[in-house]
Amino acid sequence: MTHYDWGSGAIVTPEEPKKKKNVQIIPAQTDLKRRAVNFVKGFDINLSPEQLEELENVVQRSTETFVRDVGKELMDCRKIVIGALGDKSRRPEAVAACGDLAYSVKALGGTFQYPLMTQIAKSMESFVADRTTANEKQLLVSQLHIDSLYVILASRVTGFGTTVEQATVAALTKLAERYELPRE
Amino acid sequence: MNAKIDFSKISFLIVDGDKISAQVVYDTLAYLGASHIQRVKTPNDAFDVLRREQIDIVVCEWRLRGMDGLEFLDVMRNSTNSPNRFIPVIMLTAHSEMKYVTTARDLGITEFLAKPFNAKALYSRLVSVIARPRRFINTGTYFGPDRRRRQVQFDGPDRREL
Repeated sequence: MTHYDWGSGAIVTPEEPKKKKNVQIIPAQTDLKRRAVNFVKGFDINLSPEQLEELENVVQRSTETFVRDVGKELMDCRKIVIGALGDKSRRPEAVAACGDLAYSVKALGGTFQYPLMTQIAKSMESFVADRTTANEKQLLVSQLHIDSLYVILASRVTGFGTTVEQATVAALTKLAERYELPRE
Repeated sequence: MNAKIDFSKISFLIVDGDKISAQVVYDTLAYLGASHIQRVKTPNDAFDVLRREQIDIVVCEWRLRGMDGLEFLDVMRNSTNSPNRFIPVIMLTAHSEMKYVTTARDLGITEFLAKPFNAKALYSRLVSVIARPRRFINTGTYFGPDRRRRQVQFDGPDRREL
């Protein structure tokens, strides 16, 4: 509400009272820091290159498990896809299996020096994403992805491979784009 | 003298349905000296452990059976049944696109680690959670660690006061 200011002789409008803050700021919980950070025991906060290499070796210890388990998963998934080619009722199961496999390989391939597998799995994952079923050609596209992943794993193609492997990835991605529809 | 982290003083819970992925995280933590590491495959099992035991850090995969990692995080941060609303959660996922990072951040994730990851990336997230804890923000629409990681000079109105 406005009022007459006797000092300045003007009509003034008082400022709106400041709204109460609707945010609560809670101080950081320092319990972990107090318990674990010290100058005597443990690992340096900034690891040296040698320590990092040691730590990376720990991760790489699981490489053989990855090769063995993913190899088996690829074979199992391939069987499901082939089964679904002749049996429409099994197609949703095949699509779900392909989705799970693609995510798993995409997530771990690069960790174990198989970034090429991650690339192919990424293409496969996008291809089966949001699908509940697939037609025959789409199942064949999935099968081609699975076969390529298996070849890379069996031949132990670490890194991004040569131009041949890169051309294969590009071809698979193109194939996936071509048979993307219908998406049901 | 360099500051160190004694991982034996911290308890971890790994929530991941993928055997290999969980094993990699487990091996890394064990190598770092962590002696109290629990592994579960589903969020429901994770809640059981969190209600039963003292867990300091959760390492969680996004893609889980039943409830996914985001729903798990949402319950942890916002449910009245949450065993610990302040617990640091490191989210691992192969969904590394920006929209996924933003979604996880807005649900109160502490750290986000895109797969495939390497040891250095995992270590840096652990260091960040332990040695550089962030304050928590509670508003009508968000509860979680402060999403403003950097303090940048800004002359405009503070939106938290609006």
